[in-house]
Amino acid sequence: MQDEFREAIDTIPVIVWSALPDGSVDFLNRRWCDYTGISVDRASGSGWLSALHPGDRPHVTALWRSLLASREAGELEARLQRADGTFRWFAIHVVPVCDESGRVVKWYGQNTDIDDRKRTETLLAGEKRLLEMVALGAELPSVLDALCSFVDEASSGCHCSILLVESQSATVRHAAASSLPPDFTGAIDGRSVSVPYWGPCAVAIAHRTPVIVDDIGHDTRWAGSEWCQLALGAGLRSCWTTPILSQAGDPLGTFAIYHHQAGSPTPLQMDLIEQVTHIASIAVERERDVTRRRHVENDLRRSEALLAEAQRLSATGSFVWRVPQGEIVWSEQVYRIYEIDPALPVTFELVGTRIHPDEAAWFQELLGRASAEGRDLEFEHRLQMPDQSVKYLHVVAHAARGAGDQLEYIGAVQDVTERRRSEDALSKLRSELTHIARVTTLGALTASIAHEVNQPLSGIITNASTSLLMLDNDPPNIAGALESAERTIRDANRASQVLARLRTLFRKTATLSEPFDLNEAAREVLALSERELQRARVVVRAELAADLPAVVGDRVQLQQVVLNLVLNAAEAMGLVEDRPRLLVIQTGQEDGDRIRLTVRDCGAGFDPRLANRIFETFYTTKPDGMGVGLSISRSIIDRHQGRLWAEHHDGPGATFGFSIPRLPVLGRARKPDDPPNAPRSPVGGAIGEA
Amino acid sequence: MTNRSLVVVVDDDESVRESLPHLLREFGFVAHAFSSAEEFLASELLGRTGCLILDVAMPGMTGPDLQDELSRRRYAIPIVFITAHEDEAVPRRVLDAGAVECLFKPFSGRALREAVNTALRAG
Repeated sequence: MQDEFREAIDTIPVIVWSALPDGSVDFLNRRWCDYTGISVDRASGSGWLSALHPGDRPHVTALWRSLLASREAGELEARLQRADGTFRWFAIHVVPVCDESGRVVKWYGQNTDIDDRKRTETLLAGEKRLLEMVALGAELPSVLDALCSFVDEASSGCHCSILLVESQSATVRHAAASSLPPDFTGAIDGRSVSVPYWGPCAVAIAHRTPVIVDDIGHDTRWAGSEWCQLALGAGLRSCWTTPILSQAGDPLGTFAIYHHQAGSPTPLQMDLIEQVTHIASIAVERERDVTRRRHVENDLRRSEALLAEAQRLSATGSFVWRVPQGEIVWSEQVYRIYEIDPALPVTFELVGTRIHPDEAAWFQELLGRASAEGRDLEFEHRLQMPDQSVKYLHVVAHAARGAGDQLEYIGAVQDVTERRRSEDALSKLRSELTHIARVTTLGALTASIAHEVNQPLSGIITNASTSLLMLDNDPPNIAGALESAERTIRDANRASQVLARLRTLFRKTATLSEPFDLNEAAREVLALSERELQRARVVVRAELAADLPAVVGDRVQLQQVVLNLVLNAAEAMGLVEDRPRLLVIQTGQEDGDRIRLTVRDCGAGFDPRLANRIFETFYTTKPDGMGVGLSISRSIIDRHQGRLWAEHHDGPGATFGFSIPRLPVLGRARKPDDPPNAPRSPVGGAIGEA
Repeated sequence: MTNRSLVVVVDDDESVRESLPHLLREFGFVAHAFSSAEEFLASELLGRTGCLILDVAMPGMTGPDLQDELSRRRYAIPIVFITAHEDEAVPRRVLDAGAVECLFKPFSGRALREAVNTALRAG
């Protein structure tokens, strides 16, 4: 029975032992001897401690002592060295046996091999730690270093390396290889992945498959190669390399394990390699994503910075107005132009606090029209800042259909205050010059006027003096005095004729005569005065007749007339606030081969009783007018055998227009009812030479 | 002596030609008018004129031209210029050339009489 029991104890696949109450081992089964290669004699007492991993000895000894003292059962884990020198993890269970009085009479123990479970736990813990590093955004080199250390620890006696492909240069470089000789890694760094198959890692990358070199010295694939020399020189005998592939299957690099002994990987090691390359691929891909995103973010930040700088330099801001939501987004520069804290959200209420009070109603109307019509906008307006200073803004906005086909305006705002100020200064200067020019012209005329008037005045005084002398005679020469008085009257009449004749002086300029398109000339005038009209907030509607025959005359002078009519119309609407300042310019053909151009405004109009006086020189209804414009216009139109007229409206405003002869059709006989003063020559020569 | 009282008016302006002789006659002079310098030069009165009332600006030969021409022909006729131009340069020039007076139109009857009297005394 004793022998049978002994037989059974020795054959069970666990280590069983017993110890005396003081802890000295007095029995070990055969399994102990088979595993450790240590005889029972040597292991007895405390000899068994020599089989423990040196790192585990202190805590095992301490725990064993505390169990002896407390007389309690216990469990611990420790590594025991196998006969071949390798260590394996064991779970050690200890149980005391006591007599009736409670004293320990014997300790029994059982050591169970838990190495495989322990290894798996370690791998899992390592994997978890590495994935945490990746997830927490650790730098790639430290992740890869940790990966190599992890494998170094998990399977001792090996050297790990991670080679990464640098995509731009298509070369490899060691990202981690802490325990490999630098001579070896240095010789591999910078090699091309594409051209020669210089080593197993290049093949693994090229074929996207693991390459196992179990005996470098005897592998025919690399026999005599430079790599073979290098590896053997570094004391390496085996190399197991596996490609690290991206999720898309592209090679990112390799993970390789080198040993100083020849050999091939165990299934467990194959699993480990697979696990490690998987983590490496996650880490590398993540790093590349982050790098790419960082590049994109940097580019974005740089272009944003450039844009902001450009906006600042050009004093131009940009904005988006999502019409249905009433949502406005401003660039930083717009905030700067409006002098509003960029932290504030933009609302029309906020914008309204800056719009110049004179333009508030107009601005409202503009916004209303823009949101209703959805047309591109371009306008100028003024801001009034809190310190009462005025800014001029030029706004251009493009109407677009955004998400959900909703109207939105994308536009630019430019601060044109400086430009406007210099333009205003220039315009003021120009109008002063114009005024001076007019005065100068009048100055030149004064001499002529004086001469022409002084002549009859001289006659008047002479005759009056003569009359007085004749009446003063004794007896008075009544007949002579009467005669002189009559001559006085005649001279006075002459003086008034002189003034009438003065007007002809205006006409004494040579005039060019050529056929031209009145529509085109009018369009040029509108283009020329566009800014002026826009500033006066005049809406221009051009209704120019299609197929308008050419007219004959001095193009520039007739353009002056059109300009004069347009500017007068704009000026006439200067005080209109309750309706759009609409200016309608029309062209058309009249009976009798004449071309008509009219300019209609909705301004103050004029007193119909004064219709005839409007065209007189120096007659003006404007407070600051010279009254020269319309009279010069009429003299120009007269010279073109044309007619200039003014029409009073029943409603607001007035229409000014002129008609001039069209270009006669060549070869056509003149009709008997044609006016005798119609131009005889269609081209060339001067007309209207007074 | 009769020569001295002959006052000749040369002016292209008709109202002057019509009015001035009447006034001069009222002053007691013998007066005659010509519408141009050329006409006067060709007339028989040239040698008998005691005083010449001469317009400055005339078509053809001007007043100053006639002044030069008379000087060239050595006729020492005292000249009273009349002008409707308020140009200061002309009177200076004709006065420098020996004219008695230069009157700006319109001038008063008294100014004329004084000028003519001065001229006749000078002659």
